[in-house]
Amino acid sequence: MMTPGGSGRLRPLPTAMYAGYSGTASSWVAKTSVSASGKRIQREMAELNVNPPPDCSAGPKGDNLYHWIATIIGPLGTSYEGGIFFLDIIFPSDYPFKPPKVVFKTRIYHCNVDTAGNLSVEILRDSWSPALTITKVLQAIRSIFLKPEPYSPTLPVIARLYLSDREKHDEVAKEWTLRFAK
Amino acid sequence: MVSETPSRFMNRSGDASIAREKNGENAEIFISPRFKSAAALAGWDEEDLIIASFVVEDTPERSSSKRRRRSNLLFKSSTPPSSGSLRRKQRVQQSSIRLPVVDLDKVIRHEEERSAEKKKKKREIEEKRIGNDEKKLSEQNSDSVVLPCIDKLRDELSCAICLEICFEPSTTTCGHSFCKKCLRSAADKCGRKCPKCRQLIGNGRYCTVNTVLWNTIQLLFPKEVEAQRAASVNLKGKETPSPRNPPNQRLRSRNRETAAFEDRVQREDLSRLLVSEERSERRRRGGSMRLDQDRDAALALRLQRQEFASAFGATTATSSSSASNLSLARANLRAMASRAVRR
Repeated sequence: MMTPGGSGRLRPLPTAMYAGYSGTASSWVAKTSVSASGKRIQREMAELNVNPPPDCSAGPKGDNLYHWIATIIGPLGTSYEGGIFFLDIIFPSDYPFKPPKVVFKTRIYHCNVDTAGNLSVEILRDSWSPALTITKVLQAIRSIFLKPEPYSPTLPVIARLYLSDREKHDEVAKEWTLRFAK
Repeated sequence: MVSETPSRFMNRSGDASIAREKNGENAEIFISPRFKSAAALAGWDEEDLIIASFVVEDTPERSSSKRRRRSNLLFKSSTPPSSGSLRRKQRVQQSSIRLPVVDLDKVIRHEEERSAEKKKKKREIEEKRIGNDEKKLSEQNSDSVVLPCIDKLRDELSCAICLEICFEPSTTTCGHSFCKKCLRSAADKCGRKCPKCRQLIGNGRYCTVNTVLWNTIQLLFPKEVEAQRAASVNLKGKETPSPRNPPNQRLRSRNRETAAFEDRVQREDLSRLLVSEERSERRRRGGSMRLDQDRDAALALRLQRQEFASAFGATTATSSSSASNLSLARANLRAMASRAVRR
C-alpha cells in the first residue's frame, strides 16, 4: 500500500483501489493542496487521537491518508470479550459524501459480519450521512458486538441460532474469539 | 436650572426652618444620593445632612462644583440610566466603602475626577461605538484564551460535514447549520435531507446564508475564517478563472501560446483580486471587521506585486504587459524629448 515516491506527501486514493468511485475532475489540484476529503480525514484523525471512543482505535495504515486500519476490543460482558478485532477502512475520494468501506480483517462469529468480513450496518450503506464520522462508525460497530441485529443479518444461519439458542451461539462466538482474535 | 439655585439661596438666608422644611421635602433632588449614601455610612441623620449640604453650598468653588453635579444629576434622572452611569454608581459606592471616614473634600474631588474620566470615555464610545466594540471583541477573541468556553463554541459552530468552522453557514428548515458549500454538495450527492437529522430540506432554502450566525462566527474566529477564505479564493483562482477579460488586446503579433498563457495568468490574478475586493466591499457595507479589510488590502497589494513581478520577471520579448509598459515608457520619453526640443 506504500505509494512509490510519495514520501510524506499525502496523495489521493488511486481510483482503481476503490472501484465505483471515479476520481473527481479536480484531482490535479490535490497535488498542491490537500483536497476537501483529505482535510476532513485529517481532522477526524486529530479528533480520534484526542478522544477516542471506548475500546476503539484507528489511524492511517501507511502514508496513505485514505486507507486506515482500526481495532475494536471486544466489550466486556459479551462473548467477544478480550478479543482484538482488526478492521480495514477505505475512504472514497468524495468522502464524506460517500460512506467509507469498512471490512473486518479478523474472523468473527457474528450474524452481521459475513465470511469476507463485510458488515451489514445500515449507516455504512443507505443511511450514510456526511455528518457521520469514523468515530461514530466505530461506535456503531462496537454496538453490534453488544447487541447483534439478527433481523437484518448477512449470515442468516448465525442469526437463527442467535434467536433460537442463545447459549450455543455465545459458546461458539467465544470459541471463535479465542481462536482468531487473541 | 441655573436660575433656580439663587432663589433657593435667598430662601435659606431668610428663614432657616422654612428652608429646612423645603429641603427636607425634596431632599431626593437637592442632595445627591451618592452624598447621602456616604453620609449614611458615616452615621449622619437627615438634619446633619442638610446642614452639611449648606456648608458645601457656602464654600464658593465647591458650590459651583456641587451645582454642576446637581445639574448633572437632574439631567441624569430624566434619562434612562445607561450602563456607564450604573457603573459609575457602583464605583462610587465602592469608593465610599473604601473611605469609611467621609472626607468630603476627597470624595468630591474623587468624584469629579471620576466623572470627568467617565464622560470622556463615554464620549469616545458614543463617537465610534459600533466599530470600537467590534474591534474590542475581535481583539479579545483573537487570542482565543479569553473565553473559557471557546472550545465548546468551536465545536458548536463547526460544520458537521467538513468539521471546520462553518464558512458562510446555511441553516436548514430543521434548524441545523452547515457551510453553504458543504450543504449544497451534500444535497447534490446524498439527497435532499439534513445530514444531521435526515429531514427533508426545502427547495433552494439551503442556499441562503444565516447572516447572524455568519457574523458571529466571523467575530469569534477571525483567523479560521480568514484561512478558509484564502483557501477558497486560491481554489477559485485555480479552477475557474473569471470570464471577465481585462482590456489587453495589444498582442496580435506576439507568439500566440505565450500570450495566451500570460493572459490566463493575469486573468487569474485579477479574478482573485476581484474576489477579495468584492469581499472587502461587502464587509465594508456590513460595517464590520476593519482588521479583515486590512488583511484584504495586504493580500491585494501582495497579488499586485506578484503580478508586477511576473510581468517584469518574464522574458521581455514575449510578455505582453511588459512590452506595453516599455512602449508606454518609450512614448513618454519621446514626448519629453520633443517638448525639450521645442523649448
